[in-house]
Amino acid sequence: MKLRKNVMLMIGILMAVSLPMLLNCAKKEVGVTEDEILVGVWSAQTGPAALWGAVARGTDCYFKMINDEGGIHGRKLKLLIRDDGYQPARTKAVVKELVEKDGVFAFVGGLGTATGMAVKDYLHANKIPSIAPATGSQLFGNPPTRYLFTIYPTYTTEGSLLTKYAVETLKSEKIAFFYQNDDYGEEGLKGAEDRLAKYNMELVAKVSVEITDTDLSSHVLKLRESEADTVIMFLLPKQAAMTLKEATKLDFKPKWLTTSTLSDVDVMNKITGGLWEGVFFDNWAELPNSDHPLMVKYREVHKKYAPKEHWGVFFAAGFVFAEPFVEALRRVGRDLTREKLVEAMESIKNWNGGSTHNVTFGPNLRQGTNSIFIGKCENGRAVRISDWMEIEQ
Amino acid sequence: MLAQLIVSGLAIGSCYALLALAMVIIYKTSEVLNFAQGEMAMVSTFIAFMLLESYHLPFALAFVLSLVFAFVLGVTLEFIFLRPAKQPTVLGLIVITLGFEMILYGVAGWKWGAEQKSLPFPIPDTSVYNINGVIISQLSVWTFIICLSLMIILFLFFKYTKLGIATKATQQNQIAARLMGIRTKRIFSLTWGLSSMIGAVSGLLLAPITTLDPNLMMDPLLKGFASAVLGGMTSLPGAALGGGILGVIENLFAWYLGEAGFVFKSVVAFAVIILVLCFRPSGLLARHYVKKV
Repeated sequence: MKLRKNVMLMIGILMAVSLPMLLNCAKKEVGVTEDEILVGVWSAQTGPAALWGAVARGTDCYFKMINDEGGIHGRKLKLLIRDDGYQPARTKAVVKELVEKDGVFAFVGGLGTATGMAVKDYLHANKIPSIAPATGSQLFGNPPTRYLFTIYPTYTTEGSLLTKYAVETLKSEKIAFFYQNDDYGEEGLKGAEDRLAKYNMELVAKVSVEITDTDLSSHVLKLRESEADTVIMFLLPKQAAMTLKEATKLDFKPKWLTTSTLSDVDVMNKITGGLWEGVFFDNWAELPNSDHPLMVKYREVHKKYAPKEHWGVFFAAGFVFAEPFVEALRRVGRDLTREKLVEAMESIKNWNGGSTHNVTFGPNLRQGTNSIFIGKCENGRAVRISDWMEIEQ
Repeated sequence: MLAQLIVSGLAIGSCYALLALAMVIIYKTSEVLNFAQGEMAMVSTFIAFMLLESYHLPFALAFVLSLVFAFVLGVTLEFIFLRPAKQPTVLGLIVITLGFEMILYGVAGWKWGAEQKSLPFPIPDTSVYNINGVIISQLSVWTFIICLSLMIILFLFFKYTKLGIATKATQQNQIAARLMGIRTKRIFSLTWGLSSMIGAVSGLLLAPITTLDPNLMMDPLLKGFASAVLGGMTSLPGAALGGGILGVIENLFAWYLGEAGFVFKSVVAFAVIILVLCFRPSGLLARHYVKKV
């Protein structure tokens, strides 16, 4: 009798333990419930890179718009933003927490190069999709890894195409390169040098600057001495503003070309006191203030949900980074798993349903876009002045 | 070209010098290095920005009010954070200033955001004087003049006024000074307020050259510190001289070493600190004094 009682008890315990496990199986995928998809993002909300924290808040705003339109196959998107202060060690901690405690389904728009590199292997090992990290470093799309998709054209692409535009359209003969001494600047420099080599040309000067430098007088003197007719800048807003002020003082007036990072004409004009007029920049997504139907719609969403945020290139980028992710979710359908998301991402080909150009992924292709266009600051406004330009593969 | 490099170096050097002056004032009386100096100046600059942008006060008034704020901020820091410290060691006090630095940095990011702002300044940074091809901006000229006059005023203050002499006495021997009837605690508060004000002036002069954001003073503070070490941590003229020299060294270094020069331009300050500490620990102008145990 006693044995039988024990056996019954054992069976009871087994059932008690296994029942929730069975139910869990019915739940199918981590971070996906009947009516919700849990998405995570690491982002600097404080510290030296807090300026870019607007990207994650933009994505949140975009998700609210999607949810208002009925969500995706009956599920609402929920974004968990975690502040890492732009410190890779903290990124590791917050991403681990999002995965192991909150149980997110995927990551979208994780901010930064060093921060993203710190969690790249961890996410891959745990088979968690990371879509469109907010960085243009080539370290993410190349070589391709299964769960990592990127849509930001690399800084090398930006450097290369800016140089192409300078030589072919602006007829520049003496090009100087002024860059921030890190991945952002160095990858851009490589793009520019490789492109110039094709025309049998060389940079007349390359000058680097540290992100903390407060005095750019000697840098700009060096640029002036090179007698460059065109200067390509891979800088952050602060240094770019100081560069233009310094150049004005020294009466140095080349054509200035710069990256999408500095395409927020409103901010740049304000902090340079109007000196930004005439500066060329590239962008890989429609301009935030353009008449493109998506941007018109996004501006209204921004007014509704986040009227206090500055509607600029970073906040708008939060929308742009999440577009392919939402498209893939739509393609997957109701039965959502991480593997199916990856397959759906891979099925995106020459997609122009978002604000970027010809997004294309494939089984071995993780760099989604390679196109930019050129814009210019005219009468204090960002104006698009070229067609899409695509890098030759 | 050499002349231009030196002039540009002196221009930024006077900003370093102002911060160095601010640090020296505190160090002179309490031997504490104030790591919150930069952030105090940054917050005061933001106050000026707020008064100008949100309340549309005339610049002179906003300038004065932000200096008053800076003074109060300095006194408050001394009164609320440093004074209650039990049996403080110099190191303990320095750590408190570090904590205060982080609080101010966080508050500024929360209140004013991380986006670059432009401080409307009556003297534009882009209008220049051109003397035989050497270019200097009006703002730089004013910075230089302000820096020099503040240094002279402070020098005279410490040398000839009763309060200044009391400050000196407090620094040399706190107990004896107190026995002589000097209210040493008040002296400390005063020096913190004074130093905070000078820091604010440098913030207000730097913001139009760079842009205004919570990181405004990060780099200048380190340079100010290096200038103070170079000139001698206890010497006011030394601090001003140190700032000027550092600005020029940086520029010449970057220029003549070419590409590598620019990479290491901002590191030169640290090399200067190390060299000075190795060969002349008391700095260029300070007298070396040995404390008797």
